[in-house]
Amino acid sequence: MNFITFCDLRLLNLLEYPSDFANLKIDRMASKKNNPKEVTENDSNSRRDFIKKSGLFTALAFTPPSLVMASENKWDEKIAEYLETVPLSIEVNGKKHNLNIEPRTTLLDLLREQLQLTGTKKGCDHGQCGACTVHVNGTRILSCLTLASMQQNAEVTTIEGLAKGKKLHPMQEAFIKHDGFQCGYCTPGQIMSGIACIKEGHANSREEIREYMSGNICRCGAYHNIVDAITEVKEGGKEL
Amino acid sequence: MSKTSNINRVDGFAKVTGSATYSAEYKTPGVVYGCLVGSTIARGRIKSIDTKKAEWAPGVLAVITHLNVDKPTGYQKVKDKRNFGQPLQIFKDDSVLYYDQPIALVIADTFERMQYAASLIKADYFKEEHSTDLQKAADKEKKIDTEKGNDYHRGEHDGYKNAEVIFEAEYTIPTEVHNPMELANIIAKWDGNKPTLYTKSQGVEGTRRSVAGVFDVPVEDVSVFSEYLGGAFGMGLHTWPYEIAALMGAKKLNRPVKLVLHREQMFTNVGFRPFTIQKMGLGATKAGKLTGLTHEAVAMTSSYEDFMEGTVNMSRFIYDCANVSTRYRIVPLDTCTPIWMRGPGEATGSFALECAMDEMAYKLNLDPIEFRKLNYAEKDQEQNKPWSSKYLLECYEGGMERIGWKNRKNEPGSVKEGNWLVGYGMGTGTFGCYRSPTSVKAKFLPDGNLVLQCSVNDMGPGTATMMTAIGAEITGLPVENIIIEMGKSGLPKGPTQGGSATTSSVGSAVHDACNLLVSKAVGLASGTLAFKGIPITELTFENGVISSKKNSSKSVTLASLLTANKLDELTVENLSKADEEAKKYSIYSFSVHFVKVLVNPNLGKIRLAHVVSCADIGTVINQKTSAGQMYGGAVGGIGMGLMEALEIDHRFGRPINNNFADYHVPVNADIEKQEVFFVNKKDPISNPMGTKGLGETALVGMAPAIANAVFNATGKRVRDLPITLDKIIETVKV
Amino acid sequence: MKNFQIIRALSSRTAVTNISKENEAMFIAGGTNLVDLMKKNVVAPDKLIDINGLDLKEIEFVKGKVSIGALAKNSQVAEDVAIKEKHPLLSLALAAGASQQIRHMATVGGNMLQKTRCSYYYNTDMPCNKRTPKSGCGAIGGSNRMHAIFGASDSCIAVHPSDMCIALAALDAQVLVEGPKGKRQIKFTDFHRLPGNTPEKDNTLEAKELITSVEIPDHNFTKNVHYLKVRDRTSYAFALVSVAAALDLKNNVINDVRLAMGGVAHKPWRLTEAEEFLKGKTVSEEVFRQAGDLAMKGARTYGGNDFKITLGANTITEALTIAASK
Repeated sequence: MNFITFCDLRLLNLLEYPSDFANLKIDRMASKKNNPKEVTENDSNSRRDFIKKSGLFTALAFTPPSLVMASENKWDEKIAEYLETVPLSIEVNGKKHNLNIEPRTTLLDLLREQLQLTGTKKGCDHGQCGACTVHVNGTRILSCLTLASMQQNAEVTTIEGLAKGKKLHPMQEAFIKHDGFQCGYCTPGQIMSGIACIKEGHANSREEIREYMSGNICRCGAYHNIVDAITEVKEGGKEL
Repeated sequence: MSKTSNINRVDGFAKVTGSATYSAEYKTPGVVYGCLVGSTIARGRIKSIDTKKAEWAPGVLAVITHLNVDKPTGYQKVKDKRNFGQPLQIFKDDSVLYYDQPIALVIADTFERMQYAASLIKADYFKEEHSTDLQKAADKEKKIDTEKGNDYHRGEHDGYKNAEVIFEAEYTIPTEVHNPMELANIIAKWDGNKPTLYTKSQGVEGTRRSVAGVFDVPVEDVSVFSEYLGGAFGMGLHTWPYEIAALMGAKKLNRPVKLVLHREQMFTNVGFRPFTIQKMGLGATKAGKLTGLTHEAVAMTSSYEDFMEGTVNMSRFIYDCANVSTRYRIVPLDTCTPIWMRGPGEATGSFALECAMDEMAYKLNLDPIEFRKLNYAEKDQEQNKPWSSKYLLECYEGGMERIGWKNRKNEPGSVKEGNWLVGYGMGTGTFGCYRSPTSVKAKFLPDGNLVLQCSVNDMGPGTATMMTAIGAEITGLPVENIIIEMGKSGLPKGPTQGGSATTSSVGSAVHDACNLLVSKAVGLASGTLAFKGIPITELTFENGVISSKKNSSKSVTLASLLTANKLDELTVENLSKADEEAKKYSIYSFSVHFVKVLVNPNLGKIRLAHVVSCADIGTVINQKTSAGQMYGGAVGGIGMGLMEALEIDHRFGRPINNNFADYHVPVNADIEKQEVFFVNKKDPISNPMGTKGLGETALVGMAPAIANAVFNATGKRVRDLPITLDKIIETVKV
Repeated sequence: MKNFQIIRALSSRTAVTNISKENEAMFIAGGTNLVDLMKKNVVAPDKLIDINGLDLKEIEFVKGKVSIGALAKNSQVAEDVAIKEKHPLLSLALAAGASQQIRHMATVGGNMLQKTRCSYYYNTDMPCNKRTPKSGCGAIGGSNRMHAIFGASDSCIAVHPSDMCIALAALDAQVLVEGPKGKRQIKFTDFHRLPGNTPEKDNTLEAKELITSVEIPDHNFTKNVHYLKVRDRTSYAFALVSVAAALDLKNNVINDVRLAMGGVAHKPWRLTEAEEFLKGKTVSEEVFRQAGDLAMKGARTYGGNDFKITLGANTITEALTIAASK
């Protein structure tokens, strides 16, 4: 489907089903209730703006020649930007971000490409390797299969959020001490997973650690040392 | 034990905090996103390619195909010459030589828009008959027309056939793929006519030469940054078409282009360990003396490049045998060219050789270690040279003790633990010790730090840590005071990282440069007032202080020395090379992997209850990182032995498991108990430190150890890797 | 991935109402399968209805049954103390699936709707009747190591990939759904379907229906149960064959039994004939072996999966043996 029809469809949808907007509004109010700072007056303005502009564009949509002209003049891109983004308020490593993102943006790509937090790694982009593991609201998840647009008001912790300056998190220290990595690329995912593994109560034996760390592939083959590191942190009993 | 023999990785902090910068992570203002669209056929020509929809999609900046590409001037010049880069010239014409060959580059302003636009590109083809099945195309085999490709004979040709006891068998390994965790990735940009690449390369200098050739620019004008590599295992030994494509895009747009392959493309576009069929013929006396050994291999290559590796070479020297023949052939297929994968050649060859040795031992009713000891090679018969050092027997002993070899019975299926069948197996590995000319610059700074510079990079083994350890040993400076600068152009030229040669090459260069630097510092000091009348031979250098051996109160700090001489730094740059003496010897590392398997024959489940990996790698510079490398090599071998295989649907000529869910590599739960043992004896010849190399031999020999253990447990001999469960259970066709 | 609109639903009713008006809209919960499929362009919805805000996350024990909300996470159910105690088979099956990160994301409803792992389905330039009706089946005559041995058709030999569903099929669960026409209940074993000539349909959900919960009636299978998953590596891999076995033993006699298999059919494969055979028998390896062989009757293989007949029978025997020994 090319952009024109894509756009077309969107606009027809809007015309026929204004209830979508009712829903959106309800949702926004809901988020407002949770966190009054989330939605600003500016946001509401831009929303009205968006409706106005899409209304204008709808008129064009019914006259194909104008539409073609519109796209040649790159209006399509401008309008697409309105059509294609949603507001997102998200906290990453304690820092709040108010963003406009495309609904299709994954949390992983948001972190790496927009927030410049490249510590979280892309190994497969399909939930098959664990390199992108982060904590969302305290739970380890795969950021490559997580749509950022569905993480409204979420609290995300990435590898960059563990150390306090030069003071490393106990798991980071243990990974260095036990040489739980070589190339270091799966390491942020392993560390995020390792911390969660202990917090979840799945680090009671080497066997259990191995099973609950199996969602994190290490091609350098540092598994033996990774289990050593997690075992030591678990036995150290520090609060993580 | 020296103070540096067990230091932590010096890049550990960067790696555990996420601050290590891998290629696609350099913060580059104005960067745009590119990706490659691949062909959907395996051979033919592009009839038409529809890029309109992609070009119209939001945010798209360029779509490049063979129809509109600005062909780099070097395409004519370097036509067929291999130059660290593949001869496959991206977007050169309409020909399709393998499935998923790049046919278009799409660049857009955001990652999401680029990906969507790429999905809109559709091509039509003139299809031609493709050939991707080595087993069906084996009749198209050819000999490689170089000295290395020649057949080898010692004694009688195929002399094994005249032996008292003869053993013959065929072994196959499937295509295996490196699959480092970091995807192949690059940020490419141009400043006028000067390209800069932030890329995943195992050889900064090689990439420079390759790019210079393609774009016809001076090598010195090519800047390459490859400071952190998320693994490579050999796939970074080429400059691949994707890198050239990114440079083309960046040139066209005059903007930096970031291009990251999909995991699927990692299976189709950046090389692999080739599918190989091997025939072994062994002849021995009834008492167990090898009298003949023939090793033949037929391996796949691409239609546009002859690729070879040392698959049969190990058979020429690892055992004492009068009559040895080896032959190596290749078959061109419609795929991307293979590229050396960890333990290249030797890993493939050792699977056939070490399984055949095990099978022959069984036929002779000998313990497999006993059989090997009976045929221990006291010298290298291939080169007719003495070994520089060889502690293979120590590896056998160390492994036997740790694995509990005494519990092994030669008769398969005779040991049980509960319902599990128990089997023990071993496999020998080896890899040559190489040393490339390497330049290192060593600098003392007034703040007491030592800077070591070399353009070599570190794909994971711990090169920077090794350099630090050697620098600290020579200068006596604390590890914290040593700063490594590496992995980029503009530094003294280092070698490509590969072939287990990095420590031997770069370590030696660090060793030499640091010694020269210390001498220089001492020389400088001896001229100062503080040491007036003291001969230079009586001065020592320790931890940044030069002092008199006899009177330690007489001393000068490096800092004051530099200040006194109005120097910002004290520098030595030195090129180190192997000396002539080394040519008189045959220098090899040796490894022996031992495994204890537990097999459930009903489910075909194979558990690696215990893995012991032993190696004679000369001096161990750093126990911690070396052990890590050995554990990792063994895990790679476990993948090779039990699960890794790129499956091709030959009807379409394309892989069908090119993803991490279907192409299995070992996970944490697969690795139950691992041990590492190093003989750790200095090689007197190899290099100043006496190291022999580890990365490759850490994997070689693991797969046959597993196959041999599985046979010992079950009586089933699996000669085609990987040993998946269906090969263990009895299969009935209904 | 095509861009889309995303709407957050606030109740199951509005979710259903919303999706009813759309042709190319889909519900999204955990997203572990859907986002993957969207990245591969296997599916390309214009609109996603995010249902994570719905009140469907609870695990409630009421008289005679447990009700598990469709949005309960896989790990939440697997590790629920009461589930472990009363439905250990379900807990074991869930823990065998995917990885802990994915189990934290994936929901019960989503798990039921996950698509096959057939490579031909995932690769959009390969023939696949399930993805593109009438394009042919790549797996027949191709690579079919993972594929079905029961209930397949000339159109499709793909298998259902879930572990959880195998246990739910064994435990006689019920699926509660809500659609434009209201609420209804589906027997779990009728929820997934065989491919026939319409492999594009995985299940018997009507258009726009939303799974709201799964109910498991109380039973006595709380001790002698086992979920045995056979795969190409020790963890984080899909099943080649899996068996959910539950025994209710009285003095070593099989009072009641449930058996279901995964990795062998387009749906969780309940082994009713083998169950009937086992009822009333005294536990023995021989009896379990006979049950395994009986269960394999009527199996059909396609070359790459020939081994599944032996493996299937052996896995059943082994699972029953382990269950009985607990």
